[in-house]
Amino acid sequence: MSIFEYNGSALVAMVGKNCFAIASDRRLGVQLQTIATDFQRIFKIHDKLYIGLSGLATDVQTLYQRLAFRHKLYQLREERDMKPETFASLVSALLYEKRFGPYFCQPVLAGLGDDNVPFICTMDCLGAKELAKDFVVSGTASESLYGACESMYKPNMEPEELFETISQALLSSVDRDCLSGWGGHVFVV
Amino acid sequence: MLLKKGVQPPSFRKTGTTIVGLVFQDGVILGADTRATEGPIVADKNCEKIHYMAPNIYCCGAGTAADTEAVTDMVSSQLQLHRYATGRESRVITALTLLKSHLFSYQGYVSAALVLGGIDVTGPHLHTVYPHGSTDTLPFATMGSGSLAAMAMFESKYREGLTRDEGIKLVSEAICSGIFNDLGSGSNVDVCVITKGHAEYLRNHLLPNPRTYISSKGYSFVKGHTGVLSTKITPLKEKVEVVEGDAMEE
Amino acid sequence: MDITRAIACDGIANKTPFYFYRLFGFSCARVLLSSLSSLASSPVSPPRQQSFLADRSTHRVDHRSMGDSQYSFSLTTFSPSGKLVQIEHALTAVGSGQTSLGIKAANGVVIATEKKLPSILVDETSVQKIQLMTTNIGVVYSGMGPDSRVLVRKSRKQAQQYYRLYKEPIPVTQLVRETAAVMQEFTQSGGVRPFGVSLLVAGYDDNGPQLYQVDPSGSYFAWKASAMGKNVSNAKTFLEKRYTDDMELDDAVHTAILTLKEGFEGQISGKNIEIGIIGADRKFRVLTPAEIDDYLAEVE
Repeated sequence: MSIFEYNGSALVAMVGKNCFAIASDRRLGVQLQTIATDFQRIFKIHDKLYIGLSGLATDVQTLYQRLAFRHKLYQLREERDMKPETFASLVSALLYEKRFGPYFCQPVLAGLGDDNVPFICTMDCLGAKELAKDFVVSGTASESLYGACESMYKPNMEPEELFETISQALLSSVDRDCLSGWGGHVFVV
Repeated sequence: MLLKKGVQPPSFRKTGTTIVGLVFQDGVILGADTRATEGPIVADKNCEKIHYMAPNIYCCGAGTAADTEAVTDMVSSQLQLHRYATGRESRVITALTLLKSHLFSYQGYVSAALVLGGIDVTGPHLHTVYPHGSTDTLPFATMGSGSLAAMAMFESKYREGLTRDEGIKLVSEAICSGIFNDLGSGSNVDVCVITKGHAEYLRNHLLPNPRTYISSKGYSFVKGHTGVLSTKITPLKEKVEVVEGDAMEE
Repeated sequence: MDITRAIACDGIANKTPFYFYRLFGFSCARVLLSSLSSLASSPVSPPRQQSFLADRSTHRVDHRSMGDSQYSFSLTTFSPSGKLVQIEHALTAVGSGQTSLGIKAANGVVIATEKKLPSILVDETSVQKIQLMTTNIGVVYSGMGPDSRVLVRKSRKQAQQYYRLYKEPIPVTQLVRETAAVMQEFTQSGGVRPFGVSLLVAGYDDNGPQLYQVDPSGSYFAWKASAMGKNVSNAKTFLEKRYTDDMELDDAVHTAILTLKEGFEGQISGKNIEIGIIGADRKFRVLTPAEIDDYLAEVE
């Protein structure tokens, strides 16, 4: 079993019309045993920027703390919030720093940039960015999420419809994954 | 040792790839497919594999995506500093040396296989770089999992003194050969034409695999279809603009 | 000796020289530095103790012989009046350097400097006083040329580091802050002297056109127009008279030339001044002698 599958996770982000949604499951497991059903994988960086971290829970929390720290330092130094693109590069750089002993995390980023243009992106655990225009997924349920999103996603959805779509995609996918589930968190911005 | 005990190494995003390059009468043409894979999954259907090194040098990357990205970014930054220090245009050989010395020092653990092309004061150059740091200098080159399929096209059709259009056509054919015959490569064709004093990046030059299967209506869900346990709405605060007024008298 | 051993064990051996430098002065620090490496391998080394004491006594002799300049032997020592005289000397070096000036216009920034060469035999095409730090930030110095090159090299590296981290060009304020931090460090570290230069940094980013001056002390200010080097006061008075907020870039170049001309000894030409401009295209550019000659013709 891969270390990425130790705790189990499902993460997805979608773009709508001037909005985005990011959703995760709530399960924290140790292999097949469920430990907690209210686990947090999606974190707020600032009002218009969220990051979800799938993979090993300990690395998720450590990496989030480092990212939050770096972002706060940036805010103090530059007196502004980071653009999503800038933050993505920062995450990528921090991940590649540990090239030969990586964080076992696959981040999903979602944010609104200048003029509220939505931005989503995912990375592997070494920081190779993948920018998408429609949706991005990661976690143990990623295969079924790919399938669900590929068929359910439509461009230019309004926030309400986007919420329903991402929720249904997440719920149907985690039902086909033993390692994730127990409902989900959904953020729509 | 851990491997034997059944621990699997983490899976990285790789680019099962076809990348090519050739020298034509006015310079160099580079080409790449746009598929990124993670095991058997296609992770990105339209990624960029032709990286900027200098205004007159570009580089195609195959192997672990993060490594190709990182190594080309690092060298491109070194080249920029070198240009500031010398006030001259970068040479392809400089880029090549920086790349190979980095890769060699990591003994092949930085898995980047590259096709480096550019034009400088000494003329057009095309090189391939292997993950261990060895390099080749060639008139036409291919790399990645689709390299054999692409090389078949080059071996049968390449000749010296190709024109720009012939060159682009041959590069596209080679990439398409990789896209259709190699499972690790797919989607679209990116091309980059570098001539004296000018580089043209033709992103998605060909789109041989358009998405055709999407339903025009798609799924739609009624509002309230999903069961919601709790909702919290946080209105976003608009940033306050501070305007200097008369209050700022001295 | 106990102190040194304790420090070596703490694993901060590489920081000790500065620490001891301030306590005992130059010579002791050197000895300690060299003795620390051997201490690491053999914790007890009595012979060192002797050399340590012997050295401190020679240091006392040195101290007495310093006479008047006792507050200038180390720049980390304040004079009783609260000044760091080495920094004042550095400012003097700047003040006697060639005149440079900068003007922020509504749609860009211009920086200019005179380029007087020590002899007519020097090939003037080989001298470049205005340099790029990034594509959208340029810099000019007054004072010691070699010192400025060190700063420019460090700043360029810093800018590239920023770019590699965020994939975004470094904002002018950030680069100026980093440069100023380096200059400050050289007013507080042991074994170094402050930079004998002031810099004028011109850049254009999301916050519009910007002009900064950085001094040897590491302090920096944003200016609408500023001058430094020989003739500062005359040039500044001239700029104060001529400056308007709605000035266009071309007007600013004209004003820059006129200001330089004020204090210029001899005939001004495209070969003995340098001008760098940056406009809304965010590309910093050093004008060629031919371009400067065109502007000169317009001014006359």
